Amino acid sequence: MDDLEILSEYSLYLKEKKEEGKKVIGFIAHDNIPEELIDAAGFIPLRMIFAGNDDLMNASHDYLPPSTCAFAQSSIGLFSLKPSQFNFLDLLDYFIVSNHCVSDICASEIISKYFNIPRLNFYISYTKNDNSLKYFKLELIDLKQQLEKIRGSEIPSKDLRESILKYNKFKKRLLEINNLYMKGSKKLKIIQKALLFGPDFIQDLEQIIQEYKEKSPINQINSKDLVLTGCSIFINDYLIDLIEEAGGNVVFLDTWIGNHYSSQIIDDKLIDAKKDPLNLIIKRFHDNIYGDHSVPNYLEFKISQIEKIYHDYKLKTGKKLGVINHIIKFCDHISIMSAHLKNQLQEKGIRVLNLERDYSRANRGQLSTRIEAFMEML
Amino acid sequence: MSYNFLTGRDYLTKRKQKEKKKLISVALGFPDLVFAANAIPVFPIRMEKFKINLYLMALNSATSLFGWDLTTKILGIARQLDFLKVVEKVLDDVVNSINDKYNEMYDLGVENGVPSDLCYGVNALYGMHKSRGSVLDANLNFAMRCGKWNKFSESLQSIVPNQIWVNIPPREAENEDKTLEIMVNNVKKAISELEGITGNYITDNSLKKQFRIGNQVKRFYKTILYEICSSDFYPCNPATFAEILALLTISFQDYNSNAQRYLENMSQLVTEMRERIKKGIGMDVSDMPRILIAPMFGGWEPETHEIIYELGGRALYADWEILGLIDEISVSENSDPVEDYARFLLDASKKGIGCDSDALTNSYLNFVKNLEIDGIIINQLFGCPSLSNSYEILKSKIKSELEVPAIVINFRKIGENVDVVKAQLRTYMEIFK
Ligand code: SF4
Ligand code: SF4
Repeated sequence: MDDLEILSEYSLYLKEKKEEGKKVIGFIAHDNIPEELIDAAGFIPLRMIFAGNDDLMNASHDYLPPSTCAFAQSSIGLFSLKPSQFNFLDLLDYFIVSNHCVSDICASEIISKYFNIPRLNFYISYTKNDNSLKYFKLELIDLKQQLEKIRGSEIPSKDLRESILKYNKFKKRLLEINNLYMKGSKKLKIIQKALLFGPDFIQDLEQIIQEYKEKSPINQINSKDLVLTGCSIFINDYLIDLIEEAGGNVVFLDTWIGNHYSSQIIDDKLIDAKKDPLNLIIKRFHDNIYGDHSVPNYLEFKISQIEKIYHDYKLKTGKKLGVINHIIKFCDHISIMSAHLKNQLQEKGIRVLNLERDYSRANRGQLSTRIEAFMEML
Repeated sequence: MSYNFLTGRDYLTKRKQKEKKKLISVALGFPDLVFAANAIPVFPIRMEKFKINLYLMALNSATSLFGWDLTTKILGIARQLDFLKVVEKVLDDVVNSINDKYNEMYDLGVENGVPSDLCYGVNALYGMHKSRGSVLDANLNFAMRCGKWNKFSESLQSIVPNQIWVNIPPREAENEDKTLEIMVNNVKKAISELEGITGNYITDNSLKKQFRIGNQVKRFYKTILYEICSSDFYPCNPATFAEILALLTISFQDYNSNAQRYLENMSQLVTEMRERIKKGIGMDVSDMPRILIAPMFGGWEPETHEIIYELGGRALYADWEILGLIDEISVSENSDPVEDYARFLLDASKKGIGCDSDALTNSYLNFVKNLEIDGIIINQLFGCPSLSNSYEILKSKIKSELEVPAIVINFRKIGENVDVVKAQLRTYMEIFK
C-alpha cells in the first residue's frame, strides 16, 4: 500500500467518523499528548504525521521564517496549499496547541489562528520533577474540562480507563511490530498507518504479527541493519527508500512515531477501578524518559537506550547496528544535540550518521551519497 | 559600567580565587537568586579578555580618584567638545570590542559542533561556555518557550556539570493560584540547589535586599527608556545613545556581577544624562524619528543604529522591557519573597517568554504605543522561529492598529549582511522624510 492509498483510505475513515457525529482533534506528532482523553470524550485524535516538499515548505513562509524546522513549515503548508489528498484536514474541529518544542507551538498557533480551527491548550513542563508532575495534572484537568465543554457532559472515569486499556493494547501491538524483523519500509508504513487509524487498527496489527511470526526467521534479509533515531520519517517521505536503495535496512524506529510512542504503555496492573485514571497518564509522563522534550537528562537517557538496543541486537543476531540520526533541518531539539550524540556513541564503538535534511527535492542526490558512504563504512 | 563589563575577567578571578565565591552562569534577566546566595552571577562573555580603550582606562582611573562628577567637570571645563567625542569614541570601541568577541565565541561554538543553523545567540553562548566554562561552579537555567534554548542549556552539562533548572509555565487564568503554588515550589527547589552549591543560606532578607536593589536598577533602566528616550534632546548623539542601550541590554543579564556597583553605575548614568540635557549638552533630536529595533538579544547587527543615525533617525533597543524582565518584583515588609519572585516570573512568561505569540505581539504593541515609536525594525534572526514568528502578526497589527511602518531585516552573524541592511534601511527611512 503506498502513501496515497493510506491517505485516501484515511480520508474515507474520517468522513465516516464525522458522519457518526464525532469531532476531530488535531495535534502535531510528538509524545505526551493524552489521546486517551480525546478518545474517552468520544472524539478522534488526528496526529499530524505528514512530511513535506518544496511547495509545502514555501507555502509556510508567509507565516514563519524559512529557518523554522521543515516539518513545522510543511504542516502549515498543508493548510495553506490544501493538496487534494489532504482534504480530510478540513474535517478538523479543534487543534491542540502544545509546546513539545517552539516550532510545534508556533506551527500549532498559526494553524489554529489563520486557518480558523479553534485551539485547545495543553502545556507540558520541560523539567521532570514533583512540581512538573503537579503541573501536568493541572493541565490534564484543564484539557479534560475543555473537552467536556465541547461534548457538553463529563467524561466518566470508567470511559477514560477503558480508553487507556485500549491504547495500551494498541501500543503493545505496535511495539511487537517494531521488534519484528521485516523490511524497514514495510514496517514504517504499517506504523504510519496505525498511527492514523489508532486502536481501530489493532486487528490488522494482530494479523500482521501472526503472519510474520509464522514465516520470519531472523537474518532473512541480507542488509546492513540500522536503527533510526532523531526525527521521524513521516508519510510521503522518500528517505527510507534511499536507505534501502543504499543497502540498508531500518530494523528499529526509535522516533516519535516509533518507539517513543509505542513504548509508553501503562502497566495494566495499575489500571484499577478505584484510582483516578488521570494519575495513570501522569505516571506515564513521568516514565517517559526517552522523549526529547524534557531537560536536562534527555541525551544521557537517549545514549543509554541506543546502546542497549545495539547490544541486545548484537546478542540476538550477531550483527552490529548502525545508527542514523535523522535531523530535520532546523529541528529545535535534535539538531543541537546531534554532535554530542554522535561523539558519545562513537566513543562506545557505535557508528552514527547525522543525517540533516529538509524536504526539498534537490537534496535527494546528496542524501543518497551520504547514506551510501555510511553504508560503505558499516 | 563599560569598564566593569570589560574587566570582568580580572574581577571574577579575584572574587573566585581570593574570596572563594562561586561563579554561576546566567543569561537573560535572571541574576537575582545567585546574588541572594552570595555567589557571583556571570554572563559568560565577561570571563573573556577584551581589548580596552586607553581613554577608558584613563577615565576609569580619574573617576576612581576624583569621582565621576569632578572628572566630568574638569574634563568638561577643559575641552567640552573633545570630551563628548572621547565618550563617543570610548563607547564605540567598547561595543565593537564586545561584538568582535561575540563573533569569536560564535565561531568557537560552530567549531565545537553546534550546528550553524542555530540562532547566533545560542551558538555564541555555547562558545562562551566552551571557552571558559570550566571555571564555572554551576549554570542557572530558566526553561521557557524556546526548545533550542532549553536543549542548548542541557548540552552545557558536559562543560558545567552542575545545572540548576527553573521551569516557568505559562500562566493560565483558570488555575492561576495552583500555577503560582507550583512556580513557588520550582523557585524553592532552585534555591535549595543553589544553597547546596554555594554553601550559603538564601534567607528572605537576602532575597528582599536583592530584589530592592534590582528594582532600583529597573527603575533607572525604565527612566532611560521612558524619560530620556522620549526627550527631544539627547545627552549625546543618537548612535552613541543606542550603544548605551545595547550595552545595558548585555550587561543587565548579570549586573556586571556586582549588583550594588551596577546600581551605582545606573544612578550615575541617569544623573549624568539628566544633567547634560538640562545644560543643553548633547543633541537636539526632535525631528528624528524613533525607530525600535527588536528583538536583538539573540544577536543583531550593531551597525544598524549607525546606519539609522546617518539616515536621520534614532534607534532604540528595549528587549527586556518588551519581555517584561524589567518589571519590578513587588517586595513588602510582610510578603513572601519567593512568592513575589514566582509571580514576577509568571508575569514575564505571560508577556512573551511563555507560549503565546499573541501575548508577545501585544507586548510589542504596548511598547510602541507607550513610547510613541515612529517605526519598527524587526530583526529576523536566522534559526529563530520563536521571536521572529510574531513578525507577520506584528506587522499587520502595527499597520492596522497603530499605522506605524515596519520592516524586517535578516541577521545571521555580525558583519555578514551590512550592505543589504544598509540598502533596505535607505528605502525604509525615506518614509519619514
Ligand atoms: S523542531 Fe523538531 S521537534 Fe519541533 S516540530 Fe520540528 S521536527 Fe518536531
Ligand atoms: S528564542 Fe530565538 S533567539 Fe532565543 S534562544 Fe530561541 S532560537 Fe535563539
